[in-house]
Amino acid sequence: MSARERVLARVRTALEERTRVPHPGPFRGTRPEPPPADPLEGFSTLFLDAGGEVVRVADEAAATAWARAFAAGFGSVAVGATVPPSLAPASRPSAPPETAELGVSMALGAVAETGSLLLHSADGRRTQLLPPTHLVVVHASSIHPTLVGALSSLRSSLPAALGLHSGPSKSADIGQVLLRGVHGPGRVVALIIEA
Amino acid sequence: MSAHHPRGYKAASARAVLERQDMRASVTAATRNFDGNRATAWREIDADTWRDWARDVKRHALTHLGRYLEEAEARLQANGVRVHWAENAAEVHDILGRLLTRHGVRRIVKAKSMLTEELEVNRYLEGRGAQVRETDLGEYIIQLLGQPPSHIIAPAIHIGLEDCRRLFTERFGTSPDASPEALAAAARAALRADFLSADLGISGANFLAADTGTLALIENEGNIRLSTSAPRVHVALVGIEKVVPRLEDLSGFLQLTSRSATGQVIGNYVSLIHGPRRQGDPDGPEALHVVFVDNGRTRLLSDDVAWETLRCVRCGACANICPVYRQTGGHSYGFTYSGPIGAILAPGLLGLKEAMPLPFASTLCGACADVCPVRIPIPELILYWRERAVEAGLVPVAERLGMRAYATAAEHAGAFASAGALLRWVPWEAGGRALPVLGGWAGQRTPPRLSPRSFRSLWEEGIR
Repeated sequence: MSARERVLARVRTALEERTRVPHPGPFRGTRPEPPPADPLEGFSTLFLDAGGEVVRVADEAAATAWARAFAAGFGSVAVGATVPPSLAPASRPSAPPETAELGVSMALGAVAETGSLLLHSADGRRTQLLPPTHLVVVHASSIHPTLVGALSSLRSSLPAALGLHSGPSKSADIGQVLLRGVHGPGRVVALIIEA
Repeated sequence: MSAHHPRGYKAASARAVLERQDMRASVTAATRNFDGNRATAWREIDADTWRDWARDVKRHALTHLGRYLEEAEARLQANGVRVHWAENAAEVHDILGRLLTRHGVRRIVKAKSMLTEELEVNRYLEGRGAQVRETDLGEYIIQLLGQPPSHIIAPAIHIGLEDCRRLFTERFGTSPDASPEALAAAARAALRADFLSADLGISGANFLAADTGTLALIENEGNIRLSTSAPRVHVALVGIEKVVPRLEDLSGFLQLTSRSATGQVIGNYVSLIHGPRRQGDPDGPEALHVVFVDNGRTRLLSDDVAWETLRCVRCGACANICPVYRQTGGHSYGFTYSGPIGAILAPGLLGLKEAMPLPFASTLCGACADVCPVRIPIPELILYWRERAVEAGLVPVAERLGMRAYATAAEHAGAFASAGALLRWVPWEAGGRALPVLGGWAGQRTPPRLSPRSFRSLWEEGIR
């Protein structure tokens, strides 16, 4: 018998007399006070609370202009594979994520309930993690009110790895002092396109 | 750390309390902070409803465990993941050994994983000549110090800033009064090189969703995201109790675990991993292996009472609120998992005899049950293991005789009254130390000042 069969056999034996418990149904995430009705507001509040930055622009043209100006403050930029060429800050020298000062990613969407950006592995995980500053472009229309809703809608197209980024990298492991930018980026900016 | 085994608990905890004022200060401050943040985060949600839901999903998953493990396995395989099964640490080591050879692995980065601590994976891998680097900052610190973790989510909770400064001065030549930021920068630079040169990343998993084969990992630093994506091979070790039925179930567990562990709405980084790098992906591991690990979990599952322990999501909330843990820290327990959950996981995973006396490492105050996000009845399970220990003759003879004598006295009013009267005549100040059984106890305490008359006699006269 393989380890697999032995483990499964022991599980079966262990549960022989055990009363089966039904699944309680979907998670509802109930709260005493309802969260903001507008997902954009909800996301922004939590993302700011967690130490992230939020920039809201009217449309893609404004986003491109803002991203260009922002990138001008950095020596080199790594751009994620799913960032539309129109949004890539082409004026800066591009660099691999290992050495770039700024990483730019396109988010699949965001979650208002948790203040999380949803990042696809096809965009490049190194770009999402290695540069000290991370600029993430997200469309306001892709902000899901709840995490359960976001997961359901992604179910049929799950990437190799889906990253939920909810603020800058943090650690309190050195003498319980809260620090930013320990392994991942210490600065994260969500650039939200409202139109 | 000479005796990192539960049997050293009494001496180790006494030493911690008497001699490690610095460690206690560090642990107490950090745990109070964690617990305060948890309480705040729980007030923002209907915590009772969330906890009932989480308890019931786990109960459902555990009572259908075989079905969900098989479903998860099939789904993972369909996602391009190689699935392995291991009954114990030795089998996990064998699997890892074969993977080192197959993938030509020399350098390994590790994401924080309590299961790998339980299985002593690092010792095995280093014995095989591989370089193993812990990448969670806290794990990295204790790896440099050669210590085991002392808390489920904050492994270096017992290390103060000054100790970190000394360690980093020795290791990296940072200034003896370096800021925490400068220390972190030194560790970041060293570990960045490790991430980018590693052949293999090893992680655990917080949850595994059966219907999509999703490995879910929660963290704050980004080291887990990097460990699972930068090296060309990723191996995830998953305790069989980690499986939950559906992808959507993760939404409740990710949030409730984060709120209970650190008071965050959700961990800073959550990785939901479905397979190796796909065509067109710029990066990510070429191969992904998942190892389903039993290591005592099916034995615990077969216990009609203690199986509830398997619901644990490893948030550490019970340790943070525990008055015993706050004083002794985690190393005293001599077991991978410390605090109240450690006191009931140890007998389940190691067997009761090996776990003694951890079920006694509690005041039974009940605070742990108040904060457990999956409502594990920890104090009741502590009592359960104590009863089993007495039945099995695992408690000291003197204690058993003492308890038997007490039981006899308590059942007979006359005997109880005379025993009380007798105790009133014990010369505690002078003779406490000389008493059998109670000597050691009395020797370290201010002797009690007893009322000259018993409660019973006062009661009979009518208390005014």
